[in-house]
Amino acid sequence: MKTRIFKVLMTGMVLGLGGTGVATAAECIAPANPGGGWDFTCRQISKIMYDIGAVDKPIQVTNMSGGGGGLAFNHVVGERDDDADLIIAASSATSTRLAQNAYAGMTADQVRFVGAIGIDPGVIVVGADSPFKTLSDLLDAVVADPSSVTFAGGSAVGGFDHMKPLMLLQRAGLTDITKIKYIGLDGGGDAITQTIGGFTQAMTGDMSEVVGFLAAGDIRVLAVLTDERVAGFDDIPTAIEQGYDVVAGNWRGLYIPRGVSDETFEMWAGRLQQVADSDEWAEAMTANGLAPFTMVGNDFQGYIDNLVVEIRQMSKDIGVIQ
Amino acid sequence: MEVFTNLAMGFAVALTPYTLMLAVVGCFIGTIIGALPGLGPSNGVAILIPITFSMGLDATSSLVLMTAVYYGAMYGGRISSILLNIPGDEPALMTTLDGYPMAKAGRAGDALVLSGFASFYGAMFATLGLMFLAPMLARVAYVFGPAEYFALYLLAFTTLGGMASNNQAKSALAACLGIGIAMIGVDNSSGLPRLTGGNLHLYDGVDFLVAIVGLFAVAEVFFFIESHGKNSSMGVKLDKVRIPWKDIYDTRWTMFRSSIVGFIAGILPGAGASLGSFMSYMSEKSIAGKDGGFGTGVPKGVAAPEAGNNAAAGGALIPMLTLGVPGSGTTAVLLALLMTLNITPGPTLFTERPELVWGLIASLLIANIVLLLMNVPMVKIFVKILMVPPWILLPGVTMISFVGIYSLSGSYFDLLLMIAFGALGYVLRKLDIPTVPVILGILLGGHMEDALRRAMVISDGDFMYLLSSPITIGLWIAAIAGFIAPMFLRKFLKKPQRVTD
Amino acid sequence: MASDRIFGLVMAIVALAYIASATQIQTSFLSDPVGPKTFPIIVGVVCAISAIFMVLKPDPEPDWPTLRTFGAIIIAVLVLIAYAYALKPLGFLLPTTVAAGVLSFQISPKTKTAILSGLGLSIGLFLIFKYALDLGLVPFPKSWMG
Repeated sequence: MKTRIFKVLMTGMVLGLGGTGVATAAECIAPANPGGGWDFTCRQISKIMYDIGAVDKPIQVTNMSGGGGGLAFNHVVGERDDDADLIIAASSATSTRLAQNAYAGMTADQVRFVGAIGIDPGVIVVGADSPFKTLSDLLDAVVADPSSVTFAGGSAVGGFDHMKPLMLLQRAGLTDITKIKYIGLDGGGDAITQTIGGFTQAMTGDMSEVVGFLAAGDIRVLAVLTDERVAGFDDIPTAIEQGYDVVAGNWRGLYIPRGVSDETFEMWAGRLQQVADSDEWAEAMTANGLAPFTMVGNDFQGYIDNLVVEIRQMSKDIGVIQ
Repeated sequence: MEVFTNLAMGFAVALTPYTLMLAVVGCFIGTIIGALPGLGPSNGVAILIPITFSMGLDATSSLVLMTAVYYGAMYGGRISSILLNIPGDEPALMTTLDGYPMAKAGRAGDALVLSGFASFYGAMFATLGLMFLAPMLARVAYVFGPAEYFALYLLAFTTLGGMASNNQAKSALAACLGIGIAMIGVDNSSGLPRLTGGNLHLYDGVDFLVAIVGLFAVAEVFFFIESHGKNSSMGVKLDKVRIPWKDIYDTRWTMFRSSIVGFIAGILPGAGASLGSFMSYMSEKSIAGKDGGFGTGVPKGVAAPEAGNNAAAGGALIPMLTLGVPGSGTTAVLLALLMTLNITPGPTLFTERPELVWGLIASLLIANIVLLLMNVPMVKIFVKILMVPPWILLPGVTMISFVGIYSLSGSYFDLLLMIAFGALGYVLRKLDIPTVPVILGILLGGHMEDALRRAMVISDGDFMYLLSSPITIGLWIAAIAGFIAPMFLRKFLKKPQRVTD
Repeated sequence: MASDRIFGLVMAIVALAYIASATQIQTSFLSDPVGPKTFPIIVGVVCAISAIFMVLKPDPEPDWPTLRTFGAIIIAVLVLIAYAYALKPLGFLLPTTVAAGVLSFQISPKTKTAILSGLGLSIGLFLIFKYALDLGLVPFPKSWMG
């Protein structure tokens, strides 16, 4: 408590002095309320960076929710474009929304994506008593009669969970992908409940969302959307094995402002790499159903660019954007 | 028994010194809030949510703190009812009927202790009920699809509307007002803004906390300005406080029956604590008959509504936690808390966040015992707090509301919106239009629309899908009955007025 | 009687305006069968019907306060609005002292107690919020603090 009061006093003094020109600790913005994925990313990365000595002062976590991350993005681009002490939590939702112009026309090249250090693999799930035994069973049925299957997912229409079945069905040969029925619920848990209850026929979501239900035997995972099978879930086939070349996962990572120097970019990339290599992060990943997926620095920027192009095309095809 | 292993896990969470401290602090603050005239569980919890949130407590801690405040406020509500003849909140209204006469007859201490024990009895009963019933009800959610949810939301609005006001048109209007406000902002499905009038501040919609604090807390200030803070001096003397064993023993069956009645009333979505205390009091009154002396200050008339309203408060947590449909104004506020914490109540809450649910249940059990200990020997301390004059209390409440909302969003726009809701709340209450349906509308309106739209996606636009299962048909019938029945039963269910000196 | 009628009429007009603006909602061409317009329109219609009921079958008149009390309430609203605008540029202490003082005066018209409760509340709450609850409040205008 004492240190906390001290900290408050210090913060108060710093604020009182006008804020600028005083060396402060770095800040991590979680563009959502506490409790979600972005908040988790910020808190874990900040804590681990300090614990392993990658930064010498604790990183302060700020929550800035609004516009599905758009408010924070706008804030960074507009007001903190050269702030070298700022990192912002990002995920697939960030790139999806950028691709769909959901941040009021702002684009992915207005910030620099530092890297991702974990991924929540995408999955396609059906109820344990579903007639669909393999991914092909399900996709063939949709191709034959799109209105016979409704997909449930944890993101809104046009969101990342919606994109997964679209990408799969495009590979399966469905030409008019706007015919696919999808309902977006409040989170993957609800989507599974609806699928187990038989109201929807299949669920599209992330691995971390289905682990509990899988253990309880309520569901069957038809495919995981990764390059290789996920360790610990070795009996779940990938979509690629079944002939559908789709890889989709909800990566967790960071971006920083555009206007910083290349040295600053490399510095944050290096720190992120240190976190990725730490035991603490490995533990945090296992506890939260994430699979290892480390891509840091310029490689990652290229990965984001490709992702944005594909999602944008897909969104145009289904008419989410013009 | 799975319940007990789960409960053991819950106690492991709840008995950490930190959580325990939060529960004790919450009980203390809650009792004060309940005791202060003009502050009740709904507005008390409402003004504290933004502040808790700004303190950065984690989900379990915030929930433990806030439910302790909630239970505490339910206990505290009886103090001002008995001593001042002013119900701290609507459910405590029934307690004034016999509590105040009993206090005037020189038995204020007995009334406080007895009602404290009755509160404990009712709350304990309900918490145990919650413990055994909630996991079972959580399974029910697997048979709830979009059509069922739509009907359930409808039921919540109609039954609450039926109970909250003596005029169905007014409750329907209030609910529509809330749902209409919920529609403002970016539409989830199309990603396009709706009904914002081009105002950027409204793109994220109207924050329910702003509405709740405005309607419940700021409106109260206007009422106090109107009354110039009168009616808040203590009319009765409180002597030595002893435990009235005989009264407690005599009312044992009253408490038992009232707890059952209250608990059932609490479980019904939309009905809640007011109905619980009302039904308990009325049924005990009819059991006692004319010779029972209800209304003149009999112990049974104190025990019944208190056991009933606290049992209902616990029961109301069941539909809130398992289905995301609150059973009362205060649970609506708690639902707002969960939503702010990014926790989606529903069946998956029990499987995905067992530490949260069972930690909460264990905390409620602990909070109950703490509250009994606090409210019997220490009742005199809370009575002192009643002495805080309204000209300090109400400005204080307003400032806390402002800081709370301001620290959440840092925007003057939200503050202006809150003042507007305060003024609206004043007018609505003056015209006897209930404000709880407005809150419920803002909280649930979006969900109700989503349920409808999802149902229509699944059925390819066939509206008959809304009536396609036995559950939906049952819920629709209950919803319609819940809306219409009070019109015919009004003569029998006429709300008794508070006795005036 | 009249109050319910007036309020019902106002709400009916609001409901109609609401329905009118709901019909203007943009739809994207990938839309579900219901779309973003239908539900707001249904709500507006139910609202209008309830409001018209209030006009046709009003309840007895509530006890409105005297004009003077109304004045006091309106002053309170204006003070709160000013407070909302002042909080950011002027810091916490000054606006809170004034606003709490005025509200206190409106509830109990005694100058001395009003000033005392204004001062006491602003300083007391500031200490609680800042140091016990860890909220980031600015006590004074930024310009005063260099």
